Amino acid sequence: MNVVYLLIWGSVIVFGATAVYGLLWAIRTGQMQDFSRGALSIFDEEEPVGLITDAFPRRNGSEARSEDER
Amino acid sequence: MSAVAPPMEGATGTSGRTAAVAWRGEVDASCAWPVMAFFGSAIFWLLAGSVLALLASIKMHTPGFLAGAEWLTFGRVRPAHLNAVIYGWASMAGVGVLLWLQARLARVRLPLQGLLIVGCALWNLGVVGGILSILTGSSTGVEWLEFPYPWSFLFAGVFAVVMAASMMMFTGRRVRTLYVSQWYLLGAVLWFPFLYVMANALIHGNLARGVVQAAANWWFGHNVLGLWFTPIGIATLYYILPKILGRPIYSYYLSLLGFWTLALFYNFAGTHHLIGGPLPAWFITVGIVGSIMMFIPVTIVGLNHHMTMKGYFHLLKASPSLRFIVFGGMAYTVVSYQGSIEALRRVNEVTHFTHYTVGHAHLGVYGFFTMVMFGAIYYIMPRLTGREWSSPRLIKVHFWGAAVGILAYWIGLTWGGFVEGLMMNDPNVPFLDVMRYTIPFLWSRSFAGILMTVGHLAFAVLAWRMFFPRGERVLGAALFSGRGRPGVPLVHEGGEA
Repeated sequence: MNVVYLLIWGSVIVFGATAVYGLLWAIRTGQMQDFSRGALSIFDEEEPVGLITDAFPRRNGSEARSEDER
Repeated sequence: MSAVAPPMEGATGTSGRTAAVAWRGEVDASCAWPVMAFFGSAIFWLLAGSVLALLASIKMHTPGFLAGAEWLTFGRVRPAHLNAVIYGWASMAGVGVLLWLQARLARVRLPLQGLLIVGCALWNLGVVGGILSILTGSSTGVEWLEFPYPWSFLFAGVFAVVMAASMMMFTGRRVRTLYVSQWYLLGAVLWFPFLYVMANALIHGNLARGVVQAAANWWFGHNVLGLWFTPIGIATLYYILPKILGRPIYSYYLSLLGFWTLALFYNFAGTHHLIGGPLPAWFITVGIVGSIMMFIPVTIVGLNHHMTMKGYFHLLKASPSLRFIVFGGMAYTVVSYQGSIEALRRVNEVTHFTHYTVGHAHLGVYGFFTMVMFGAIYYIMPRLTGREWSSPRLIKVHFWGAAVGILAYWIGLTWGGFVEGLMMNDPNVPFLDVMRYTIPFLWSRSFAGILMTVGHLAFAVLAWRMFFPRGERVLGAALFSGRGRPGVPLVHEGGEA
């Protein structure tokens, strides 16, 4: 029975340890340095900041148009 | 695996524009078969799960309903429903989204496509086999692990393939900066398979019996939500919300703080399911502390989500994906606060073993995770098939059916369940009176279930038309770039940009 407690809490601690390891890795490799670069990394010139990329299909389903209604 | 993107965050650099234009279309194209296979299977299990749910729900207030067939008794239909929606719908939709999202974030083609399709087929086989075992009476009786143990080998094998594909994309990524979604996905894909194998070994390997089995069971059960569905759902929110709005996340710093606090606290929370049980008090107290600490990551996600949406709420009218995603994000905040409070001993002694808990569970898995997956599938499928959704009206039927359905479900069971708990704690109230009191709320649940099922049917029709289109390909508003965009040549699998 104690073996099982050990396994459960052992796993919990392994999970925690992987998180701490990941955090240290992130700090060491500079992931925590330039937050704006991180936030912008999903945008590019094809889908830049400011482009809204989803809208209801039009009933007749004609071709794409960009939905810039801000 | 051949990379398609220019090195680094290429589009802002000096590398050629053609490459920048082509990468997204090619990444999406590489995901098409495996991800569509996972989505198609997921939607099938969503429908099957809805039918099983309705059967179970109706039996709660009309016990005579289909009472003649032993394989449709409540004790079998209810776990069959749970497993169909958890391992069938939610996990398969989650894996599909995870694969696409990681390919997008890493800007590489999806690796191991053939193996992933085989994996998808094996996963379906596992769910079919497991559910038939439950319906024929071979359930293990351990909640969340009801499938007889041989099936778990199948799931573990498929997890290994998903894990391998995920790690290949991570290590071969063309973007050095890890976006916050990538952290969440890494968490899900590294922690959950380990947890699944561990829990199966403990419980089905006869290591954990009696009270300790319950401990292992709920440590696993809660972590399915905390370390598998929650990170996939939040990763999706953090990617698709800014992409739809064309606006970076409000505070990237907070989003990372949210991830790391979730990583540190969530896996301690599971033992709050055993409050009042014959376990050492410290064992449960650790779970309660973990649950209360979850206030930090949840507040961060809610705040970040709201501040990113601020000023853009009018877009809810215009974007189908956004409606589902924002609903899911709001439900995440509500369900998580509710869950933390529910973990307090004084609250739990009322709500435990009542319908209140069932309402809470559905707000989490449906209101949050399922709604986010719906939103993600509305965003992803047109980009994989190069085809627009065929009917805005059906999308609206789906949204309103699901949204009103889950709200009615949650309000009815939260109210009815809480009063049920108070009545059960009062020794002067006869048990039958308590049961009679809950009947109208059980009817409200069946009604809510019908609404959700109507939504699912609309969704299934839309998805069917994606898989088997009639007539000409419809190009539309959802297709802004890459495949199918007028003026941009289609990039075929294996083809050059």
